[in-house]
Amino acid sequence: MSEFFERRVARALRSDVPLGDELARRRVMERVRHAAAEGHPVRRRGVPWYRRQRHSIVGLTLAAGIGGLSTLSAALPGAQRDAGARLGAVVIGDTVVGTLHDTLRLVRLMFDAPDAQRVEVAGDFNGWGASPTPLVRDERSHHWSVTLALHDGEHRYAFVVDETRWTPDPRADRAVQGGDGRIYSLLSLSRAAN
Amino acid sequence: MSDRAIIQQVLAGDVEAFAQIVDRHYARCARIAVRIVGNREDAEEAIQDAFLRAFKALDDYEDRERFSAWLTRILVNQCRTVLARSKRRDAVFLDLDPRQLDFAVDAEESEGPWPELDRMLDRLPAEQREAIVLKYADDLTYQEMSRITGAGESALKMRVQRAFARLRALLQEVPNV
Repeated sequence: MSEFFERRVARALRSDVPLGDELARRRVMERVRHAAAEGHPVRRRGVPWYRRQRHSIVGLTLAAGIGGLSTLSAALPGAQRDAGARLGAVVIGDTVVGTLHDTLRLVRLMFDAPDAQRVEVAGDFNGWGASPTPLVRDERSHHWSVTLALHDGEHRYAFVVDETRWTPDPRADRAVQGGDGRIYSLLSLSRAAN
Repeated sequence: MSDRAIIQQVLAGDVEAFAQIVDRHYARCARIAVRIVGNREDAEEAIQDAFLRAFKALDDYEDRERFSAWLTRILVNQCRTVLARSKRRDAVFLDLDPRQLDFAVDAEESEGPWPELDRMLDRLPAEQREAIVLKYADDLTYQEMSRITGAGESALKMRVQRAFARLRALLQEVPNV
């Protein structure tokens, strides 16, 4: 009985619904033509990564001169204001976890994508999206941002816009092409970078 | 012509070639969207937005992924957006008593559309409804579903099982089921 029920549900779900007549499909194509007239789809492949989406993306810059070892609570508020004013990603301070040998650096990533509904950062620090780290949108400025606590070293990352668009950071200091053909932005963290 | 070949044609500047993508995938998108959002008007809006977003992002499509799965991911996101914006389903369906519905279904109808089932889908929690629709309306693997929904495969299997259990309970009054 149970197997019969499941098979029947599956068959019903596979059955078509009366939607999508000629008019509906024409409406889709009208919107597509309109988007094409605006320059879509934007071609990115074959274009140097640092020139892609410059109009909508503000990338990462490492802030100089915010250095010094400080606690999270002491470093965050003022540094965040600085970061917001500059519109980039900045190292905003350190926080000591356990011992001085286990120091995390606070990095604020900022991203400008006013039309996006969702922006996440995928990197080696979060399993490449296995645990996606969402950016939060500021309703006034429409800028997306997130503050990460990262260990010293070199990190690879990219932004994922609306779960479909892999976007390296055009203003990162460096970028590399991975074995899968994607472009990854590089972020080096050390006391010197602070 | 394969989806990939059509996409290359569109990216080469032939916008009208995208109509083949629309024709090829509209019915499948409709099966998914209607059953996730619960009504045709919102489903059509979600489908239109999904095709448009897919067109705009066509250069980001990676060949390694099935185009249909990539499009479905965009569609599911649009359905979620529509659902978040429209609370109509709650007003229409939450107070519906399944015993008041006409459940008479004969053997022939059992092979095709099942209107009562579609109505009962609206009584499932959104996550369960989404999971069972993706699994059967689109024949996706759990791995593909995981990429689309962001949920783990074991969680998705559990949602499908629970959806079946809930539907069975809701439809238990139906003769011949």
